Amino acid sequence: MNIERKRRITNLVALALSSLAAMVGLFWLVFILGDVIVHGIRGLNLSLFLEDPVPPGIEGGGLRNAFVGQVLITLAATLIGVPVGVLGGTFLAEYARGKKLSRVISILSDIMVSVPSIVVGTFVYAIMVKPLGHFNGWAGAVALAIIMIPVVLRTTEDMLTMVPWTLREAAFALGAPYYKVIIQVVYRGAATGILTGVLLSIARVAGETAPLLFTSFNNSFFSWDMSEPVASLTVTIFQYAMGPYESWHLQAWAASLVITLFILLITLAGRFILKWRFGR
Amino acid sequence: MTKGLKKDPVDFIFGTLTAIASLSVVLLIGGIFLALVQESTPAIEKFGVWKFITTVDWDPVAEVFGALSTLFGTAVTTVLSLVFAVPIAIGIAIFITEIAPGFLKGPIGTAIELLAAIPSIIYGMWGLFTLAPIMEEYIEPFLQSTIGRLPLLSILFEGTPMGIDLLTASLILSIMIIPFTASIARDSFNLTPSIVKESAYAVGATRWEVVKDVVLPYSKLGVFGGVVLSLGRALGETMAVAFVLGNNHQITSSLFDAAATITVSLANEFTEADTDIYLSSLYYLALILFVMSFITLAVARFFLLRAERRYAR
Repeated sequence: MNIERKRRITNLVALALSSLAAMVGLFWLVFILGDVIVHGIRGLNLSLFLEDPVPPGIEGGGLRNAFVGQVLITLAATLIGVPVGVLGGTFLAEYARGKKLSRVISILSDIMVSVPSIVVGTFVYAIMVKPLGHFNGWAGAVALAIIMIPVVLRTTEDMLTMVPWTLREAAFALGAPYYKVIIQVVYRGAATGILTGVLLSIARVAGETAPLLFTSFNNSFFSWDMSEPVASLTVTIFQYAMGPYESWHLQAWAASLVITLFILLITLAGRFILKWRFGR
Repeated sequence: MTKGLKKDPVDFIFGTLTAIASLSVVLLIGGIFLALVQESTPAIEKFGVWKFITTVDWDPVAEVFGALSTLFGTAVTTVLSLVFAVPIAIGIAIFITEIAPGFLKGPIGTAIELLAAIPSIIYGMWGLFTLAPIMEEYIEPFLQSTIGRLPLLSILFEGTPMGIDLLTASLILSIMIIPFTASIARDSFNLTPSIVKESAYAVGATRWEVVKDVVLPYSKLGVFGGVVLSLGRALGETMAVAFVLGNNHQITSSLFDAAATITVSLANEFTEADTDIYLSSLYYLALILFVMSFITLAVARFFLLRAERRYAR
């Protein structure tokens, strides 16, 4: 009787502690998101998007240059990273399917996904900034692309592997060469999955700061020129938050709100597509 | 596949393209390593390996550089954040897999994963403007007046609480890695065959006993792999700690002191390095970080793959 009671109490305590842990996790999410929303909304206005920064210490101005720069860098990174990632994933899932090489590259990509992004920044500085002698937007795009490639590559591989092999055999039977089978049959079957993977990888790099610090750096002026330093939202947030001015802090919060909502929405959309399409 | 297919020239070109694209990952890893070695060569030649990692000084003016203070900061924040995060993460995984009613499983799982999607710079800024003041005013004085009074533990809580210190940085880091550990632990828990769990329930085990004696032993490889993966993540996290650690190159016994990690030093000093040996020493730090996290992540993969293979049987 006594033992039974002890077991029951241990059980209750353990389950309560686990539930508490879940509450702690949710608490942090609500705390951080709530804080970003409360602070960010106060700084949110039209001039944030439509005006360029004013000299430090003066009220007003906006972050138009950083918004445009962020879009430019992320877009360029996507254009570099996605083709490489999708083609690389195709090799692993199709031409090298089941081979040892495919396994090794797959594992290396998984490791590469978690390699510190600031190290990627120092690498790109060495190959693209130092030789040119100045920070430039392309270097930032390449740094983000390097982070993107393994992510896209792995999701593409997974998505292509999920396309039934019999579908390919049906196309082979019609005499189609492998590349046609891949492009016209396999890619079509896996399109939703691959696109979702691309979407999630964009969400992943859009919030990266560390790789941009030494590559695209920052620019307080509006610029379309990717061969010059380009402002990005994240680096601007870093600079403004560390700066001494109250108006800077407010703009940093507003920029944080915009970027956080953007990333969370993409992430949620990606998850729902995956769940709806693949039920996982 | 068959010989006939390989004769098609377009297919050969397409196949080669995909091969090059996938090899880019290998080339990038090799390239990063070589570039870091090359850039840090002056510092490696000047300070050596053993001397560099055992020297505390980090003095740009005298051009004396050592990694020990940043290694110390990296180790303390990483270990502390794991201590904070792992119990919570495992609790969350238990809650999601064993306790939560069906309709709550999905939403809570997604909510925890959203925590991982928040950019690290947001964590950093939140830490600086919101968490650090709370730590300074309430939590750290409280710790000082309670645990800080105990004879042996008091050295951990010395000094004036400022909020910009090792404890705050570790706490933020722990919030960041909770979702990684939790989602891998959850996936590992889910791999436990329900037949095994049901037979334990059938002989009268409580839920906690099923978790402790069936699920945990069954999934310990996967959970361990998840913890090591989180360790690798924590090692390389930059922006979340850059705001709240103070970048002070020192070795200190008190968690209420500012310190520096490899990542924080890189973020703060890289663009300000005005001499070649200074920049080279920073590259040396980056090289050490790259090698450390690569090994950690490889070990994590090894455990996760072994876990996967075991369940696949």
